[in-house]
Amino acid sequence: MSAMSDAVALLALPFAASVVFVLMHAYLGVHVLRRRIVFADLALAQLSALGATVAFANGYPATSAAGFGYALLFTAMGAALLTLTRTLARYISQEAFVGIMYVVATAATILAVDRAPQGAEHVKKILIGSILTVEPADVAKFAALYAVIGLLHWLARRPLLALSAEGAATGRSGATVWILDLAFFLSFAIVVTSSVTTAGVLLVFSLLIVPAVVGSIFSDRLPIVLAIAWGAGIAACAAGLAGSYALDLPTGAAMVMAQAGALLLAGVAKLLLFVGVEQRLHNLRIAIKTLAAAVLIALLASSAWLMIAPTGDQPILALVESATGIGPTRLLGVGERDAYESAARDAVRFQGEVDRLNALEKAARYQGTPLSDDDVRRIASYQKTFNEMTRGERFVQETLRGKAQARARWIIGLPAMLVAFAGLLWLTRRLWNGYLAGRR
Amino acid sequence: MRAGLLGLVIGAAAQLAALVGAPASAAVNVVATTTDLAALVSEVGGNLVTVEAIVPAGVDPEAFEPRPGDLGKLRRADLLVRVGLGYDYWLDTLVRQVGDQRLMRGREANLDASAGIPLLEIRGQSVTSEGGHAHGVANPHYWLDPDNAIIITASIAEALARIAPAQRVQLLANRAEFLIRLESARARWTKTLAPYSGTKLIAYHNSWPYFARRFRLDIIAFIEPKAGVAPSPAHLAQVIAAGSKANVRAIVHEPYEPDDGARLVARKLSVPVVRLAISVGSIAGTNDYLALFDYNVAILAKALGTRSP
Repeated sequence: MSAMSDAVALLALPFAASVVFVLMHAYLGVHVLRRRIVFADLALAQLSALGATVAFANGYPATSAAGFGYALLFTAMGAALLTLTRTLARYISQEAFVGIMYVVATAATILAVDRAPQGAEHVKKILIGSILTVEPADVAKFAALYAVIGLLHWLARRPLLALSAEGAATGRSGATVWILDLAFFLSFAIVVTSSVTTAGVLLVFSLLIVPAVVGSIFSDRLPIVLAIAWGAGIAACAAGLAGSYALDLPTGAAMVMAQAGALLLAGVAKLLLFVGVEQRLHNLRIAIKTLAAAVLIALLASSAWLMIAPTGDQPILALVESATGIGPTRLLGVGERDAYESAARDAVRFQGEVDRLNALEKAARYQGTPLSDDDVRRIASYQKTFNEMTRGERFVQETLRGKAQARARWIIGLPAMLVAFAGLLWLTRRLWNGYLAGRR
Repeated sequence: MRAGLLGLVIGAAAQLAALVGAPASAAVNVVATTTDLAALVSEVGGNLVTVEAIVPAGVDPEAFEPRPGDLGKLRRADLLVRVGLGYDYWLDTLVRQVGDQRLMRGREANLDASAGIPLLEIRGQSVTSEGGHAHGVANPHYWLDPDNAIIITASIAEALARIAPAQRVQLLANRAEFLIRLESARARWTKTLAPYSGTKLIAYHNSWPYFARRFRLDIIAFIEPKAGVAPSPAHLAQVIAAGSKANVRAIVHEPYEPDDGARLVARKLSVPVVRLAISVGSIAGTNDYLALFDYNVAILAKALGTRSP
């Protein structure tokens, strides 16, 4: 099997699942945005996680029917509470209740698994999900469930959308509003409950909100918003999955970052492409200035830090070094440079010896004559020695690097600081001109 | 859950028995960090000791968060037995909080059971968190080689005899009796697994090198190489490709890890997932040290035997 077909075989199912998720969640996200209860869905997702956790602590797997039942029960209670707080919102902001619900649900999740084995693993899993290992039957289940809920929403779309747009109800009886609200939150609860155990709270939240926000940036007509949201959401999921494969990253977290990337791209596109020529040039100028200012401020801070603590960690200097390939050896004398380079070579060589001995011991576990315990002890003691020697070489490198940085303190730090300072002055020259003119 | 409860009941019963069997003041109070070391302490100590484990059965000791009650356990302890090698790194903080000099690292009431063990996969001298796991010194899962129990029980007997010199003879007799049972069981296990010598396996974590060495198994890859970081798709694809090339016969899985990664790889390779008990009490029916191996050996042999080689 080639790497490409490996990737396709492994990612096809997670991608199918994420398409199903995006179609349902982005739609609900539009409602959530219009109702201005963004954090309510995070709270509901966390309540669903709490339900799944309680089920787990009682010995039911999260994906079993019992697991779903528990999760749904908790989320439905949350939905009822949310409906209730909407009527209380006149006195106290609903956001406050939502925030309390979220924190309490999270704390309760941790307490619920405290005594269960695998507890910590479970809490983490419910946060980042396991979409990579989704099973075919699960995807079919999601598709069927969302088709039913989607249909119900389609049938009741007019009153539901009106209610979402209005916020507080106008021209409707209290009972109707209450029932519609509860119906909305219940359908929301079922969707979130089903997806949290597979996709995790973080991904569910970002699938709900990000595509809907991207859609709303460009339009406020529902069909257009939805079309853009679905397109952007699915594209971002594909990018997240591909990125997670190509860059060797955990899938759930990579997909959340891809959603954020889609939002950033959409924002940039809105400001630079979907505006008049005049406005576009103006926005471009501001964007370039902001970018330049950010770079200069980073340079200013970094050079100041280099002068304050030359031997400390220098993240930006290290970045420049690794990007340009110019190591710290540039500022060392000939003898020092030799010492630095031979230390680097020896560290690699000693590490190689440790690895070689490990491979030798590992091979003897199952083939040839087994190593005696004393052989193993001898190998271990060699390895410890090599490790010590590696650490010694690293220490030499660190010391020399510190020496080089101490020399860079004034040679590099001072000019860099002056350049950054001058650049910032030039960027903000209008401000200064105005200030000076005012003084005059 | 049920295993945990059972463990609790048995632990309580053992304590009760110890209390009844000997005057309470005479029993040596031992606290072990894991259930495995606790099990070996009770083999050597018999009714001369009471023993408690800090980490409950089936909980990952490396992800364990100590509770206030654990401080109480340490205060009562006459002897502390630990895995060492950075595996139960949180113990040092606990001991510092208790402030009892005797229990500090290197002192008479603090026994590091890794002393004298032929260690595998040495990394560095210092206890640093490498790849998420604190496998700073060597792979810490050395109790999963039954031969290492000979060394561990020797250290335990020595430490207990220092604390209760009058009981030295009884302690050594207990250990000798345990070693006889261990030896005959070990012959049985070796015989059961002999047909599968050289078998290729995939493991969820790198927890089984000692087990693999003793029973001559080849673990070719790990599903989650960094503990606590979900495997990336590229890594899983690599594991699956390597597994199908090497003709892997089963996936070995710790009971406290999420099993969807293991299930996915198993599905792609059409091999079984074998849940092996990594410590005493982590799966029902593994309530002492010999039962742990009885269980693991039987379940592994059964899984490997279902498909023709």
